[in-house]
Amino acid sequence: MSTPCRESELDALLAGELSAEDAERVSAHAATCATCTRALAWLRTERGWMAQRARRMPSRPALRFEALEAKLRPAPAPRQPRREHRGWVAMMGAAAAVAFMALSMAPRSHSTSHGAFASFSSEDAWSQGMVSIARVPACMDPSVEAVALVEASFGACLLASPARPLP
Amino acid sequence: MSPRRVSHLFAVRLPLVGGAPSAGDAERRLLTRARKGDPVAFRTLFEQHSPAVWRFLRDLFRDDAAADEATQETFVRAHGKLGALRDDARLASWLLGIARHIYLESRRTRGTHLDIASEENEPLLEASLPSPTPEELLLNREMEGLLAEALGELREERRSALLLRIDHGLAYEDIAQVMGWSLPKVKNEIHRARLQLRERLAGHVGNGGHS
Repeated sequence: MSTPCRESELDALLAGELSAEDAERVSAHAATCATCTRALAWLRTERGWMAQRARRMPSRPALRFEALEAKLRPAPAPRQPRREHRGWVAMMGAAAAVAFMALSMAPRSHSTSHGAFASFSSEDAWSQGMVSIARVPACMDPSVEAVALVEASFGACLLASPARPLP
Repeated sequence: MSPRRVSHLFAVRLPLVGGAPSAGDAERRLLTRARKGDPVAFRTLFEQHSPAVWRFLRDLFRDDAAADEATQETFVRAHGKLGALRDDARLASWLLGIARHIYLESRRTRGTHLDIASEENEPLLEASLPSPTPEELLLNREMEGLLAEALGELREERRSALLLRIDHGLAYEDIAQVMGWSLPKVKNEIHRARLQLRERLAGHVGNGGHS
């Protein structure tokens, strides 16, 4: 043999993967080489068998998209419920804070017949109620830290508090 | 005769039924849509490629149920990692690579030993085996069974490489990527797999055949 017989080249020839120049060289050699002729016959047979085998493939339930679809649906993120839970806690805490403040301010109101919120006026000392809730020593002008302590106890930001500057 | 015409005489472009279609523009468009979360596009890709993936896995596991499960797992992973596919033209080899990875994971979980192929140069052809006759291109049931047995006797790595080439039509370079091998090793292993297969089947085809 003038050219070493390499099956990968014959295989690439059958697959149409060779350049025109290489295809010419390999084809010319194969046409005169008994070994390559036999190898080409095997390569063609293998390809033929594989194609027929593929056609006979049984239908499988696993190849129905419906069988896969459920697995593709994104599962609920595990953190999602916790975030929602935390949101509820914060809301409940804020609501409780407002309720506590309203109740603590109610006795000081001059008019109890209209309820706690009816007694609210901008002149009321909100800080007094907040300080009493937090059990911080009485002070008419609590520090920012004291207010933060109250907020921390509720887990919520008391936006209405005049003692803490709004962000 | 022009080189192109000469090569055409030898070319047998058999369709890869159920196999990977060439990634044309249509497939690229499907991939783009699937990446954006279009379920219809992903379904189409699944329907196009799942038969080939299943067949590959069936050849590796040699078990239908295991191939079912692994095929689904292949597409679940592919669905989650479509963005990681950089070359859309290589969707088929990418999917088959995921499939083989899943197979190897399964084997490791079961503690099965994985054989390691040698890294040698491709041996030259030897003129020792008979040629199959044209009639033997037809794969009858008996021969199909023998072929399955012969494939099953190949060690896993050789079997994978051979099937990626002769059943799934992957280029040698793509097989090198899927298998994590050098190109010479791919050629060597596929050649040796073919020789093994032929030796096993030689008694049933060509001059030595009884059918």
